[in-house]
Formats: sequence, C-alpha cells, structure tokens
Amino acid sequence: MECVIGIVGKDFVLVASDTNQAHSIVIMKQDDDKLFRINDRGAMLVTGEPGDKVNFAEFIQRNLQLYKMINGYDLSIHAAANYTRRELATSLRSRGPYNVNMLIAGHDEHDGASLYFMDYLASLVKLPFAIHGYGSFFGLSICDKYYKPEMSEAEALNLLNKIVAEIQKRLLVQLPSFHVRVISKEGIKDLPSIYAKYQGDQAVRHESMEI
Amino acid sequence: MSIMSYNGGSVVAMAGKNCVAIASDKRFGIQYSTVSMEFPKIFEMGPQLYLGLAGLATDVQTVSQRLRFRLNLYELQENRHIKPKTFSSMVSNLLYEKRFGPYFIEPIIAGLDPKTSEPFISVMDLIGQPCISKDFAVIGTANEQLYGMCETLWQPDLEPSDLFETISQALMNAFDRDSYSGWGAVVYVIEKDKVTVRELKTRMD
Amino acid sequence: MLSLVQRNEDEVLKETRSIIERSCIPPGISSIEMPPFRDPKTFLAQYTKPDSAVKIKFNRGTTTLAFKYGGGVIVAVDSRATGGSYIASQTVKKVIEINPYLLGTMAGGAADCQFWERVLSKHCRIYELRNKERISVAGASKILANMVYSYKDMGLSMGTMIAGWDKRGPGLYYVGDDGTRVTNNIFSVGSGSTYAYGILDSEYKWELSDTEAYELGRRAIYHATHRDAMSGGMVRIYHMKSTGWVKISEEDVTDLHYKYKEAEARQ
Repeated sequence: MECVIGIVGKDFVLVASDTNQAHSIVIMKQDDDKLFRINDRGAMLVTGEPGDKVNFAEFIQRNLQLYKMINGYDLSIHAAANYTRRELATSLRSRGPYNVNMLIAGHDEHDGASLYFMDYLASLVKLPFAIHGYGSFFGLSICDKYYKPEMSEAEALNLLNKIVAEIQKRLLVQLPSFHVRVISKEGIKDLPSIYAKYQGDQAVRHESMEI
Repeated sequence: MSIMSYNGGSVVAMAGKNCVAIASDKRFGIQYSTVSMEFPKIFEMGPQLYLGLAGLATDVQTVSQRLRFRLNLYELQENRHIKPKTFSSMVSNLLYEKRFGPYFIEPIIAGLDPKTSEPFISVMDLIGQPCISKDFAVIGTANEQLYGMCETLWQPDLEPSDLFETISQALMNAFDRDSYSGWGAVVYVIEKDKVTVRELKTRMD
Repeated sequence: MLSLVQRNEDEVLKETRSIIERSCIPPGISSIEMPPFRDPKTFLAQYTKPDSAVKIKFNRGTTTLAFKYGGGVIVAVDSRATGGSYIASQTVKKVIEINPYLLGTMAGGAADCQFWERVLSKHCRIYELRNKERISVAGASKILANMVYSYKDMGLSMGTMIAGWDKRGPGLYYVGDDGTRVTNNIFSVGSGSTYAYGILDSEYKWELSDTEAYELGRRAIYHATHRDAMSGGMVRIYHMKSTGWVKISEEDVTDLHYKYKEAEARQ
C-alpha cells in the first residue's frame, strides 16, 4: 500500500514517498514522513510494518551517527547500505524479524549519487531507479522507457511526476500526496510535494452500454 | 510458491580439458516481477576458484560474504591459496551449521587445483551434502532444463573455446524455457594461466 | 471421480439442458457437459494448487491491450504461455479472429477463451444470417458476457477484450469470467497489464496517428514483457478499421529490445 520512489540523476538522487500512514482500514496520518536521514547527504525511505519501520530506521540512524562520532567521518552510502543489510539479514533469522523494505539513497565523494534497493528479506541491489510497493507495477515500465543516465533535476522531476500521476490514476489504493526531496552534494533539499489531480478520461467517447 | 524460486536465477558449471567454466544468469526478481538485471551469482574466491550460488537472493549475499570472510582468515592463517576441494568442505561446513534453519541456496564450486591444475566441480544441496562431479553441475530455477541441455551438449575434453560455446548454449537455451531466469548472462572460463569473463547477449523477456 | 457415475443420469441431463437454454446455445449443436458434482470451482482448485499431489497447470500469465483512438482500435498482445514457471510456448496466438469485424483477446485460461470466442463467432454469424446485417460490438460482447455469466463460479478463467467496428464506429469491451462487461477507451489485461498501462497512459491521446498508435501498442507490450516474467515472446499488433481488421505486425521482443537500446545509444 505504501510507495517510495528513487531516481538517480547526474549528481543527485531524487526521492519521493507517499504520505499515508494506514492502520487496518483507517488512515492514521496524512502527512507521514517515510524519510530518515542517515547523514547530511544520505537518507533511507522505509516502508513496512509500522512499529518495525521506525524502530529499525532509528536504530540504523543512531548507529551511523555513533560511527561518525567515533571516527570523525561518515560511512559511505555503499557502506551504510551494506551495514543496514547485515543488520536486517541478522534480524531475519531471529525470533522476531523486522518487516521493513527500504531505499537507501545519497551522495558521497567516492561514488557520487547512488541508490540501493532492499526488501524485507535483506536482498540488496544497486539500481538507477527503484520503487517499493504496488506502485512499482505501474512505475517501473515508465522508468524503463523514460530514464536516461545523467538526467538533470528537471528531467528527473518530470519522470517522477509521470510515475506519480500513473499511480494516482491506476492504483486502487489512493495515495493523494508525495513528499519529494533531492539528495546531492549540497545535502537533502525539500521540493514541493506532489498532490493528486483529478484525472478524467482525456477523450470520453463511450457508447451507451445497451445493445 | 517455493522459497527457493522466490528471486529466480540459475547457475551451471562444466569441466573441459585442463579448464572449467561456470556461468549464470543476471536476474533478480521478486516472484514474477523483475527488479534488477545486474545481480551477480558467481563470486571469485581465488585466482582459479569460483563460487556460484542460486536460490534466495538474501542468502546468496549472506553466504557469499560469510565465505569470503572465512576464506580470508584461511589465507591469512595458511599463507597460501585454498584448494577447490578444501573450499568445498568449507562451504559444506558453513551450510550444515544451519542444518535446522538452512540458507535457502545451493552452491556450485568450480575451479582448478592450484598445484596440479586439475578441474574441480562440486555441487551441494542447501544443507551442504557435496557431490563432486566430473562433467557438469546445475542449480537454480532452470535446473531441469539445464540437465537436459548439459546431458546432450557436454562431451569430455572440450577445449576452452568449445567449452565456452557449450556452456553458453546450454545456459541460454535452458533459461529461455524458464520464466524466472535470464535477463543477461555471464560466463567465466577458467584456465591455468587466465580467466576469461564474457557477457552474453540474451533475450530480455 | 468414480462416484460420479452414481448420479442419476436424467438429473444431469435436465441440468445440462437448462444451462444450454440459459446460455443460448442451440441444443444439439454444441453443449458442454455439466460437472456432475457441486461447486466445481472448489473441486478444481484442489488440483491446481502448487502443493497438491495431482497437479493441473493451466496456461496463464499474459499481457494484452487494446485502445480506441481516432483511427479505430489497436489490439496488441504478447505470445507467451506459462505453466507454473515453465515457458510452455513463445508463439501463442492471443488474438482470436472472430470475424472480419470482430477481434477477441486471450488472457487467463487459453482453452476457455478459445472455446467461448469460437461459440461467439457462431452466434455472430447466425445473427448476420437472420438480420441481414452485422452484429454490433456491444451486442457481440453482451452475448459473450451472458454465456460466461451462466457458468459463473464454475471455474472459468478468462479476461477478454472484444474489439470491433460497427455503425457506431470503433467498439471496445472488456468481458470478464465473473460476468463483468465494461467499455472504455483503454484496456489492458493480464499479469503484465500494469506495466502496459504505465506506458499507455503516459502517451495516449485520441488524436494519435496510425503509426504512432502502432508504436504505442508495441512499446507497451514490449515494456510489459521486459518487467513481467510471465509475458514474452513476440508482439502481435492488429488494427481495427472501418473496413475490418488488418494484421499490422509480428515481431520478436528480443529484436525490439536491441533495436530500442541501439536507438537510445544513438541519441
């Protein structure tokens, strides 16, 4: 039901997350933030079981902060992703595994902008674009068609808008708004949120249903 | 829905004349949805030693990393490269440690003996029962198709170039009949003094 | 299965006859043997589950699409049939040519689609002979919907689109195995349909030229086969015009993939 999206551009990662926090059939919160900062230029976007989500994300967040305090420098995005994977993989074979999916996105000196996709089983893959949740069934083909390496921010935003519009048009579960951020060398910058627009059929030429 | 075919993927290894080859597809999927087409399932474990893992992707990563760790310790302790046969025992041991909560992967070990350069191929089940093979070994979601291809195409004492052709044809034609494998392939041909890595142009559906 | 014989034959006959009447199949020409037990859907389900000892695998997993635009209706389909994870065929014909002015698509059970659209073509022909004019797309799709509705909850599996051309112009209907029948400008059915919708929705407009429309259908199917493991093989495209349908193309998706990649690289 939840949806997080990541797109790697020229020297940034564009990330978006839907803002619903649902419980059973109820929407508990309409401006939920699924983004957790792991450092000045890195973040994880987490979906999954409500309790696990915050607990696991904050555990990783705090440990990465501790690492910086001890060593005086941040873990690279690659290292942070692999550290997170190890913690999740260990928890997977414990009595109560965390049920979380995430995208880890960021910018560092060594690799530039990078994006990692990890599911609740702790399978980690590096991707140029990634979507978690049912949104992926609608968004991945759009990414395949329109994604280009080295995209500018405007181009990436254009692609993101296409994906969100499609999700809001076709996905049964309505996701009315998305938080949007750009992560680059300059840090994590908020962009205007995307809100659903009413999408009527562009050319309604239905015949009557009678024979 | 079996957990072994949740992510999909296949690996095959073949022995030739003073050489071995190991090949895999590159798909990482979540059931019928393909997520990545750049997912390595073959890992370099020595100059002439390779490990192929098929099954649950998270365990492919965990097992390959834990084996790399143990192998590093071994090499530091012994100050020499491991023999394929010894490495095979190491894999077997690691898998059996999880006898009652196994890693959902099957491994193939392919390599040449560091001293004698003799080809070595072994394959295991998910709890580490090894089976040393003289001809070929197959694992993964396309294993049935791979058995058929290998049984018909493989012959003894293939030269490296012929071995490459044989293993590539076997793999590609096998996973073209399996919906969970494919989306690119990589082939390693291991000889005494060199290892050749080639990417195959495959169907992408 | 042996206990089936014990049921009173008259009872079965009576039931069969009543079903035949309801589903407007003329008796004696074509009839379907009724299942001699209750709740056939549940009965069948126990043998189609992957962990059952006796395994019946239906061919399923598909991407099909059709859309109306200024120049008519485009129908595009893939050609893969899968039984479990095994690829049974890469050359299945998923467009059923009902008559020169009607096309049907195939998703779900291959046999169900094939059979009922054949029965439909018979009904359409009879209609033509009786009324000296072609049946409307609305009418044809309604016949199909009525027929499958009479077998509701017996385990039929089909998601079909009926595309055609009649007095009202281009027609497009979706008919489902639960008896649903809806009309719209765009439909996509099958396991890869979500991927196809993604492409379709982002480029679709009524004013598409013919070549643009073919390319949109082709692209949508190609992208679906790329991401959906259960779809693949080739892309077949049909165009429904005022003069009836024309087959536009049949291309292997591998050729398309490398053609598109090459074009991308050149940019």
